[in-house]
Amino acid sequence: MAADNIVTIRNLSKIYAQGEIQVTALNNISLDIAVAEFLALMGPSGSGKSTLLHIIAGIDRPTSGGCRVQNVDVTKLNESELADWRNQNVGFIFQTFNLIPVLTAAENVELPLLLTQLSRAQRHKQVETALELVGLADRAKHLPRQLSGGQEQRVAIARALVTDPQLIVADEPTGNLDSHSAQEVLGVLQALRRDAGKTVILVTHDPKAAAFGTRTIHLEKGELLNDNSV
Amino acid sequence: MTAAGFIVKNALRNKRRALLSVSSVAASLFLLVTLQVALRELTLPQEGAGAALRVAARSKISIANFLPARQRPIIENIPGVEAVTPFTWFGGEYKNEGAMSFAQFAIEPKAMRKVFVEARMHADAWDALEKEKKGCILGKITADKYHLQVGDRFTLVSTIFPGELEFKVVGIYSGTPDDRNMFFRHDYLDDSIGYPGLVGMWWLKVKSAADMPRVIDTINKDFANTSAEVRAESERAFQLGFISMWGNIKVLIASISTVVVFTLVLVSASTMSMAIRERFRELAILKALGFRRRELFAFILAESFGLAAAGALLGIGGAYCLYTYGDISKMTHGIFVSFEVTPRIIGAGALVAAGLGIIAAIAPSIAVAKMSVVNGLKTLD
Repeated sequence: MAADNIVTIRNLSKIYAQGEIQVTALNNISLDIAVAEFLALMGPSGSGKSTLLHIIAGIDRPTSGGCRVQNVDVTKLNESELADWRNQNVGFIFQTFNLIPVLTAAENVELPLLLTQLSRAQRHKQVETALELVGLADRAKHLPRQLSGGQEQRVAIARALVTDPQLIVADEPTGNLDSHSAQEVLGVLQALRRDAGKTVILVTHDPKAAAFGTRTIHLEKGELLNDNSV
Repeated sequence: MTAAGFIVKNALRNKRRALLSVSSVAASLFLLVTLQVALRELTLPQEGAGAALRVAARSKISIANFLPARQRPIIENIPGVEAVTPFTWFGGEYKNEGAMSFAQFAIEPKAMRKVFVEARMHADAWDALEKEKKGCILGKITADKYHLQVGDRFTLVSTIFPGELEFKVVGIYSGTPDDRNMFFRHDYLDDSIGYPGLVGMWWLKVKSAADMPRVIDTINKDFANTSAEVRAESERAFQLGFISMWGNIKVLIASISTVVVFTLVLVSASTMSMAIRERFRELAILKALGFRRRELFAFILAESFGLAAAGALLGIGGAYCLYTYGDISKMTHGIFVSFEVTPRIIGAGALVAAGLGIIAAIAPSIAVAKMSVVNGLKTLD
């Protein structure tokens, strides 16, 4: 593995067994992702792009093969170790924002910090910084229902950032947004890579969204088709 | 934000459901406490201060059979006996109420004041009863209920003896386990029915607790194989024997209590399962963010426990306040004089609530533990 790779995947396969039927979601994938890269994963529905993202992020396990993220083989960690690892190393952004509706924007952002040893004051400071980064410091006390879709997704980005992970994974983050909000969100992700040196992996159907990345790879039927580095 | 704050916000996110859940737990625990207190009051009646020295002697055949008055000197002469009073049920109805709302007994005043030592009454009242043939003493509850005072007169129509008797209140007592009864002179009853030489039963006081077994044994033996055999027993044994005539009320109340608890468990488990099912995706998000199974289990348990505890506070606390500070005699139309919510009953109710909180959290916790993040995220997609 090259020293500047944050993700190293070798011969990775994922097969879902549904009764007697076996569905191959990923077939013998090998892939390296460099530090501070903005990788766009593209492909049609069922191509395996979300499955690959889930395995890299440590919320799913491969059937075979290896996946090292920041020099940790995530396939070898148990449930509890994986939870700790995710909290410290991965920031998640989902298509449907997935904010907790009864918590304010600031409280949603603070959630991952409840698992840390930080004091309340330290937590508040980090939350404030994360919300400022996405331009929503003035919306800290708003509930998700009081925010627009684009603002909700930016809160989700702040939540992904608040523990200062090196890796940000985003699964169709613009799928539920209008084009203006989508541009804003992608702009924030791009700035994170450019200004903060974060590695971003983006799953998308949209070529315009993929254009924000530094590299695009296509998956089809669980296999890598091409690798277009920018 | 703290973890506790997060749990409270989750528990109250659907306020109507939270309110209904807490109310159902509160209502069920209120009922459970009420049943347990009623059971205790029915099966463990309070003892008066002098109960340890009192003996009840009734007909061996049945409590409804009379005993001959001639037995009294025989009992009085048994060593260890301090006083003996006849005790005859009058069964009178007050002002054509159609039912008897308080018990009346014909007694002998001199002996009675020695036997029922716990009655608190004006010192002159016993003397007045001895002087006034139509005199009676009334329990405070009954006197208050009918607004009767010393000097008032009233008439009772007996459902057992012929005719009616007029009485004059000469004293109002309190401080006994049952301040509802009325006592009047036995010779007044005898006068009205022509001296039949019969009494309902005997109550006696022994000189010391050590004398009691021997006195009981002697009474039972003295009247064995006579035309009026006697069954003598301690006051406690008499009370419990009286209660046993009610049938197996203990099993009945225990059965109702079990059904209440079982239904409560089903309702609470169902409510918690629904609440968690609605939040499966959110719980998957928490897992993705790094929350472990044990933390999610703690959240669910705390929420379930909190709802059960709130219900317990309302239900058990409400029952405690109502039965401690309310007029139970008025509420139950005199069926219960006291209705004590004991620490043991409060503890049992709290234990049921705690168990409820834990049991209701088990199924949702297992479901969340089994749920993979990926499947959880797909739940509402």
